[in-house]
Amino acid sequence: MHAPLLADFQRITPTLKVIADTERLKPFETDAFISHRALPLCAVLPESEAQVVEILKACNARGVPLVTRGAGTGISGGAIPLENGVLAVLSRMKQILAVDPAARTARVQPGVANAAVTKAAAPFGLFYAPDPSSQIVCSIGGNVAENAGGVHCLKYGLTVHNVLRIRVVALNGDILEIGSAALDAPGYDLLALMHGSEGLLGLITEVTVKLTPEPEYIETLLAAFPSVTDAANAVNSIIGAGVIPAALEMMDKMVINACEKFMSAGFPLDAEALLLIELDGAPEEVAEYLATVEAILRASHAQEIRRACDDTEREKLWKSRKGAFAALATICPDYYTMDGTIPRRCLPEVLARYAQLGAEFGMMIANVFHAGDGNLHPVIFYDAAKPGEMARSEELGGKLLEICIEVGGTITGEHGVGIEKLKQMCVQFRESELAMFHVIKAVFDPEGLLNPGRAVPELKRCSEWGGMHVRGGEIPRADMPRF
Amino acid sequence: MQTNLAEWIKDTPEGIEADAILRKCVHCGFCLATCPTYQLTGDELDSPRGRIYLMKEMLEGNDVTAKTQHHLDRCLTCRACETTCPSGVQYGRLVDIGREVIEKKVPRGLGDQLKRSLLKNTLPHTALFSIGLGIGRAVKGLLPDGIGKYVTSRRDEGVWPQPVHARKMLVLAGCVQPAMAPSINCATARVLDKLGISLIGADKAGCCGAIAHHLNDAHDAHAYVKRNIDAWWPAIERGAEAIVVTASGCGTMVAEYGHLLRNDPVYAVKAARVSALYRDVSQVIAQERTQLSAVLKSKADIYPVDAEVTRQKVAFQSPCSLQHGLKIRGVVEGLLRDAGFDLTMVPDGHLCCGSAGTYSLLQPEMSAQLLANKVNALESGSPDIIATANIGCMAHIESGLNASSRTPILHWVELLDRRLA
Amino acid sequence: MDAIVSSISERIRDAAAAKTPLSIHGGNSKAFYGGAIVGEPLDMRPYSGIIEYEPKELVLTVRAGTTLVEIESVMDRASQMLPFEPPHFADGSTIGGTVAAGLSGPRRPYTGAVRDFVLGTRILSGKGDDLRFGGRVIKNVAGYDVSRLMTGAMGTLGVLLDLSFKVLPKPVAELTLRFEFEEAMAIRQFNEWAGKPLPISATSWFQGVAMLRLSGAAAGVKAARQKLGGELVADEAGPLFWRSVRDQRAAFFQSTAPLLRLSVPPTTMPLALMTPHWIEWGGAVRWLSGAADLSMLREKIASVGGHVTLFRHGDKADGVFNPLQPVLAKIHRELKTAFDPENILNRGRMDNF
Repeated sequence: MHAPLLADFQRITPTLKVIADTERLKPFETDAFISHRALPLCAVLPESEAQVVEILKACNARGVPLVTRGAGTGISGGAIPLENGVLAVLSRMKQILAVDPAARTARVQPGVANAAVTKAAAPFGLFYAPDPSSQIVCSIGGNVAENAGGVHCLKYGLTVHNVLRIRVVALNGDILEIGSAALDAPGYDLLALMHGSEGLLGLITEVTVKLTPEPEYIETLLAAFPSVTDAANAVNSIIGAGVIPAALEMMDKMVINACEKFMSAGFPLDAEALLLIELDGAPEEVAEYLATVEAILRASHAQEIRRACDDTEREKLWKSRKGAFAALATICPDYYTMDGTIPRRCLPEVLARYAQLGAEFGMMIANVFHAGDGNLHPVIFYDAAKPGEMARSEELGGKLLEICIEVGGTITGEHGVGIEKLKQMCVQFRESELAMFHVIKAVFDPEGLLNPGRAVPELKRCSEWGGMHVRGGEIPRADMPRF
Repeated sequence: MQTNLAEWIKDTPEGIEADAILRKCVHCGFCLATCPTYQLTGDELDSPRGRIYLMKEMLEGNDVTAKTQHHLDRCLTCRACETTCPSGVQYGRLVDIGREVIEKKVPRGLGDQLKRSLLKNTLPHTALFSIGLGIGRAVKGLLPDGIGKYVTSRRDEGVWPQPVHARKMLVLAGCVQPAMAPSINCATARVLDKLGISLIGADKAGCCGAIAHHLNDAHDAHAYVKRNIDAWWPAIERGAEAIVVTASGCGTMVAEYGHLLRNDPVYAVKAARVSALYRDVSQVIAQERTQLSAVLKSKADIYPVDAEVTRQKVAFQSPCSLQHGLKIRGVVEGLLRDAGFDLTMVPDGHLCCGSAGTYSLLQPEMSAQLLANKVNALESGSPDIIATANIGCMAHIESGLNASSRTPILHWVELLDRRLA
Repeated sequence: MDAIVSSISERIRDAAAAKTPLSIHGGNSKAFYGGAIVGEPLDMRPYSGIIEYEPKELVLTVRAGTTLVEIESVMDRASQMLPFEPPHFADGSTIGGTVAAGLSGPRRPYTGAVRDFVLGTRILSGKGDDLRFGGRVIKNVAGYDVSRLMTGAMGTLGVLLDLSFKVLPKPVAELTLRFEFEEAMAIRQFNEWAGKPLPISATSWFQGVAMLRLSGAAAGVKAARQKLGGELVADEAGPLFWRSVRDQRAAFFQSTAPLLRLSVPPTTMPLALMTPHWIEWGGAVRWLSGAADLSMLREKIASVGGHVTLFRHGDKADGVFNPLQPVLAKIHRELKTAFDPENILNRGRMDNF
């Protein structure tokens, strides 16, 4: 409890929804990274930018830290509250302010669900391209804060490629207009800097997104393979042939089974790996790509190739893919999802090393991921009821991520660092680089009150964890291409 | 989700069931997307995930007050979340358990108690309700809006065919429906008759028990269930093929009989048998589709199925109990298309109309917003007729339709009956 | 190469100690652009070469001093391209200068800007620190996106060393169509087309003539051509035209009058400007050639949601870049200090904060 702050909230904005009792705060103590939780001082649910400004001014004046969240679907724990802080929930700011079909833009409040933007744009033959698996519920504000990806980003880009302008409230209540309705804006690219900044630099109160014309024709293919390596090779061959599929997704046997059990999309159960491939464009263009892709799939030992015959079947396939993570809960309710990205050519090698490490740890690992982007999502199963299992799963997860760094990749492609990958940040970045991140944060938030301790580890924590890079300030393999 | 249920519930049947359900939830938040109340308020506490968390806290032995109850009360039990949930969390079962527990833990205010008791003790009793409704119809114009709006127009029910066929099926009489729209079961009897099935009733059967159940009165609910089982049993023993329910809301209840009485030493077996015999009217007709096509074809000269002139535009409102509760999707739509109706697009078809049993009476504000949205969605395709599959939704939606341009609303089986007449 | 990096780092440290500015340059092809040049030249051309390029990966990593010509000739062999179609204002244009200036060519509104394709950078800060951000993979959200922050920062935040890009296959087929449209019609038409799934890759309008480029799979381009009509431009003339637009070789751009770049929402209707103007990027960029009252023009363009850059010639004292909102200017100053505390890197090349 923080009585003076609560009084501020009630005085400044009498209509502001404030939740300060334990009973009603409990459901806010975690996001979709449920292995960690914390009860905040209070939760505030603003309905307007003006209320956000007042909330920030009050927190700034009282020196109380603040964590922001939208729908609470993040899986790196970036929106888990701080015990000594306020939780700002922007889910009530959910108005679509304007859709401009001629300019192909939509201006929305941060709490608007990703899929709601596409729904509003659909009557004009347009859509909002980034489509994270949680798109039916995850909010645009959170998408910007995490630079969300999705299954179609190989062709259509990430959130940063599809946002034109944002309004941001800084800790001191200043309103920053970043980007513009034109294709560029004067000055530094703060728009890019805000994307993926995980709520550490400011609160996003309005987003203008770019809308894309719906493709004229879509072809969705499902290809089953007798081995993960065959599937991975097919992925590389497709892209090597100059085809950029709208989506190129892979899942292994464990995922196929789980999806099939709960969503029955008709996945072949005898396959070791599946590829979901989506080609879009003009019908003539798609036909051309389709021939190329089918030939590659056959040459890569695909045991079955199936084309979705209509929209219903296509939607069913995607629904199964997008519900894959939750479906895995039916195998074992406690699991831990990683998010490393690697150069695509390393797929077979890295997947084999994952399997080997899983065996060493005696833990099951399932894989469902954006193969076209080289963005892996290994899922580690553990039993929360067994003492020490969660810690072991985190240790294994850390090792999986370190493999990604080793082959020239990164620890997070789209889920964000949050609280989950702080340790690995010490491996991926050197002290001088992390220090630069802290300086950037201080420019926007000198008091360090916005989502402190998330996304960027404190330097002293890296030393405590014995992170690789702090030893003598240099990395063990200096020649290793890390970026 | 990790759980640690309190000693007092942990090893009870409810505790074990609740724990299994909670363990399945991964807190992904997908359910927020299709929850009607979250869509309105944007507050986690009005979402399935929020309510699951509130219930988890209660079942783990933490203090619970009217605050939790408030958010559980605001749940429509439409179970749209179950359709969306990729982890197979049976929210409907969990909220039943949660409500039963909180009913014991948190005493209600006098006004609330009175209101609930009134609903529980009038609605399920057809005779009592009929008297009220009859008076209401006579003086509808004089009634205040809040009550008057639910006084629906009565349709001529027509003739119930003689039970001449060897194939026989029981029908749930229900409580509100025979008073408000006796034409529905009668139409069903005529349609099934043309398909070679005689629909029979059972004296002494009545309310399915859902009203008491949803007002968290397990004792009363079980009494209704047992009364129906007893009433149906002789016919079941004589070989009735199925128990047909024409109100999908009641259907979800009958489908649960087996589960509700699974620990009852006397009724467990019978209840399970009843649930196994239960069919929604759409399932029964869909199974006789070949026969239906033949009958429709014989009518083709009167109602040419493909002639533009006779095609009526129908907006089908799929009740939550049908699509989320019973998970029957696309069946009614298919039958209506077979019968030559054009179905209009209904946006947000997965969202509840706000009727939800007694919800419209207990949560009038939320319900009114959902109703307004639903009416807009249904009328957006300019239909000639609105069809539904549940009496509760029918009465509720009718009350929300614009008086000037009132589109008629019927049970879909009545439409089929007219086509076959 | 390590020796070159050490020596540049050394120079930066010395310059920081002495507080003497450095002027970073490659081919000097964009010396005209941005605030006036001050300081000792720091030539990046010796730091050149391709570090890693695996076409199947769709990723290219190069040193900043590498020329665009060299990069494009290597990529050509793999039938790939830098998707943002960077301008070559002179033969020696380098990739470092391209990223620092943040300039993209005709393909920009349809495929993306240089910033959209930058995946990672290695830089030397104003303190001489060797820092790496981003990566060599297509998706990466670890740490703030400093790589994109470097793009268009005019070298004021760091000396660019290594750069990684996402690249794309070259379109198999490409053709150019010509239309006679009045200005308003051209703007309307460009926007209408952009709202449809057509393989458009460039648009231009000048003096009643609209040009449109289609790129993609042969069948797709052919189908689009049928739909759009217009007059087909002869095979060699098309690419030549787009190169002249990209590199600003047309007479309009070669004038010695001030060249102003108006960046506006693409649907902005004709601005009733007296001076000759050229429209690019589907209506989102309007080039103006001739004298203008810059502050009045900026006010007018701000009112439609755009901004004005004094691109070439003219009096830089009026401000090359559009002035920033005061709260944003403050953030810019502080970011500059964070990366370059002594303000020695390309001092004043970004003159709006």
